[in-house]
Amino acid sequence: MRYDCVIIGGGLSGLTCGIRLAETGASVAVISTGMSALHFSSGSIDLFGYNGEGRTVYRPFEFLDEFVGSNPRHPYALCGARQVREALFYFRGQLDLEGIELYNNDESNHFHVTTLGTLKPTFFSQRSVFNEKIRLAFEKKSMIAALNFEGYRDFYPELAVINLRRNVLFRNIEIITGKIVYPDYGDPQRNPFEYRSVDIARIFDTERYLEELAVQIRNAASGAAFAAMPAFLGISNFKRHHKLLQELTGLLIYEIPTLPPSILGMRIDNALKSRFASLGGVYIAGDTVTGGSISGERLESVVTENGGGSALSAGSFVLATGSFFSGGLVSEFSRVREPVLDLKVYSDAERSRWYAPEFFPRRGHPFLEYGVETDERLNPKTGDGRRVKNLYCTGALLPYYNPIKEGSGGGVAVSTGYRAAELILEGNS
Amino acid sequence: MIRLQNISFDHCIKCTVCTVYCPVARATHHFPGPKQSGPDTERLRIKSPELLDESLKYCTNCKRCEIACPSNVKIADIIQSSKWRYFKKSLRPRDFFLAHTDLMGSVATRASLLVNFFIKLPPVKLFLDLFFRIPSERRFPKYARGSFLAWYKKHRAEQEAFAERAVYFPGCYVNYNNHELGKDVVTVLNAMNIGVIVSYEKCCGVPLIANGYIDRARKNALLNINSLAASAAESGARIISASSSCSFALKHEYRNLLELDNSAIFDSLDYITRFIHERFLKGNLPELKPVRLRAAYHSPCHLERMGGVMNTIEVLKKIPGLDLTILHSECCGIAGTYGFKKEYYRVSQKVGAELFKRIERADPQIVITDCETCKWQIEMSTPYRVEHPVTVLARSIDGGKL
Repeated sequence: MRYDCVIIGGGLSGLTCGIRLAETGASVAVISTGMSALHFSSGSIDLFGYNGEGRTVYRPFEFLDEFVGSNPRHPYALCGARQVREALFYFRGQLDLEGIELYNNDESNHFHVTTLGTLKPTFFSQRSVFNEKIRLAFEKKSMIAALNFEGYRDFYPELAVINLRRNVLFRNIEIITGKIVYPDYGDPQRNPFEYRSVDIARIFDTERYLEELAVQIRNAASGAAFAAMPAFLGISNFKRHHKLLQELTGLLIYEIPTLPPSILGMRIDNALKSRFASLGGVYIAGDTVTGGSISGERLESVVTENGGGSALSAGSFVLATGSFFSGGLVSEFSRVREPVLDLKVYSDAERSRWYAPEFFPRRGHPFLEYGVETDERLNPKTGDGRRVKNLYCTGALLPYYNPIKEGSGGGVAVSTGYRAAELILEGNS
Repeated sequence: MIRLQNISFDHCIKCTVCTVYCPVARATHHFPGPKQSGPDTERLRIKSPELLDESLKYCTNCKRCEIACPSNVKIADIIQSSKWRYFKKSLRPRDFFLAHTDLMGSVATRASLLVNFFIKLPPVKLFLDLFFRIPSERRFPKYARGSFLAWYKKHRAEQEAFAERAVYFPGCYVNYNNHELGKDVVTVLNAMNIGVIVSYEKCCGVPLIANGYIDRARKNALLNINSLAASAAESGARIISASSSCSFALKHEYRNLLELDNSAIFDSLDYITRFIHERFLKGNLPELKPVRLRAAYHSPCHLERMGGVMNTIEVLKKIPGLDLTILHSECCGIAGTYGFKKEYYRVSQKVGAELFKRIERADPQIVITDCETCKWQIEMSTPYRVEHPVTVLARSIDGGKL
């Protein structure tokens, strides 16, 4: 099989790149081992949340303008601040076409609430997490009701509220807790351990109980302006449910991202896949690229586990396989390795320096900054030092940035994916 | 004792993504989902078989959990092997009949007219429903007269005359029910100057595995591996199958589930559209006549798992005039013999409901799919006729009516 471009890795970065390329009429295949890290994400897109001292960044683009100058190896510097902006707003436009509206607080970050009641700075969120009305109601210090569904084990509103009350932003805001009982609770009770976000989201998608739930939510919220609930409002029809529930209750319905599987993240995953498919992209799920053949400065083809020896060749390739969690990087006892092509990796030979002794170190764990070393064109080198000019590395696979410490994972994935597509298109024209 | 190759459940990080993509968990809360039935409770079963939970029987072995798993856990294999490792063997006559497709086929094809007539009679259906717990709503595939092998014997000499040949494993469905599909395989390959050597020893084992007849499945598998390897060795040919589930079994279930060594055939095995597509790409493209039809393509679960869907799509795209809609990948629900069991019938239809809706929205003149049991399910549950991609390609070659 031959494609114009083969993208290895079907997450946020790979799909952003795939959509940009497929949009130009190129034939693109994305190969993905299992479902992507979007299923574990908040469903908001972070750009830059914390500076080097760990303080919150309020205006991320302004921050970036200076930051890229003094951090030339950072993935954002490889893209350039201007293209980071272009990439993020391109991404928003593509999701818009699939019915997901992303909201930003103009040039500023906004916060989303976590299951534990902490706040995370982020740039884009879905309507149920951030919009103008939510901002205004919050500024007015309106009362908040944190609600849970009885039997749902992955959210404890009481715990979340303790943490929220500690936060200076929530001073003088009244927060109450309450619970809602699913009208159909008798059925899933047989397997209470599997009463997870997706089970509830599916019941929402049937729309059978919306009116009944609205009454319960209104009662449990007793006078609050917000009803904050775990993100369950459905996977396919969430926009409609959100609107209906807000109308029926007269409340602002706020979604808190849950433990995996994250419904907010899955919505983005679905939208990206659907957009990619509608542009004629081929998404090969459940297969793993096991190696490739490089001749000279070019990667000619790759082989997969299911391919039965037949190779996939392409004019250009993108490696967007993620970091350790997604298998893009593998740690052995005394070395970090890139498993597909054994590319040159930035890491530390001394294992004891890979991590900090604390679980949440202020400076972050060094291993999070390891990855495949590239030049400014995102081209990596092979283990023996040869540059591969038609292979572009993007997303969490890249080194010299720390997505946790910086709060920059989503933005780096989107902008380097977009950057790779632009480089490929430039090369072709 | 824990064998090293069977501890992939330890790689499970409990992310529950498999359960999100499980068609059965979506259809019924009686199935706790692949994570719980597979890796979660496997460690309990290893400790004590008494901790076995019956609910894992709801698993259809569609393998969609394995496609979704980011940690490469062989979830469906774990559940499937638990079914026969820990449950008592089913003594139900129904399960015996459903499992032994080749035995049933060789008897039924001798009196196919009679069998096809009787199986449709309402009193017979009622009888099967009451005493065999085969739901009366379920439609059975028709049996053919005689076997495909008998037809092939008459044509063997001309097939052996081709310089290039491929070994073809027809499977029970072609041998006993649908000779035409087998003939279509011959038409297509002959048009590409490739002769067809039919090698068919025994049922591939899919229904035996599903119904817990593991010893029988292993015996069949060994016979098939040996006979296919011998046929392929003779001519250095590729081994092909036009049934996605037979292909999947020969290649992956033999190795992963039955724990047999199939390396003698592993590298030469191809699902037919991969074989055809690769030759198309090398320029061996027969002259194709237009097939002016609006078609919807449904990708079967096991072909999804094998990663062969793109080949079928690319082959279909070559057919001039074919107006093709690719349906969103959904399980049809039948899962081989699963949908023939009264206790699972409702779940089976509920799993398929989403696909049926999508087909109706596409409003095709025909549906195309690679799997025979998907075909039965869709033909029973929607008003549309279902054909195999090779059949569509064969009509494009011979200009016959579809």
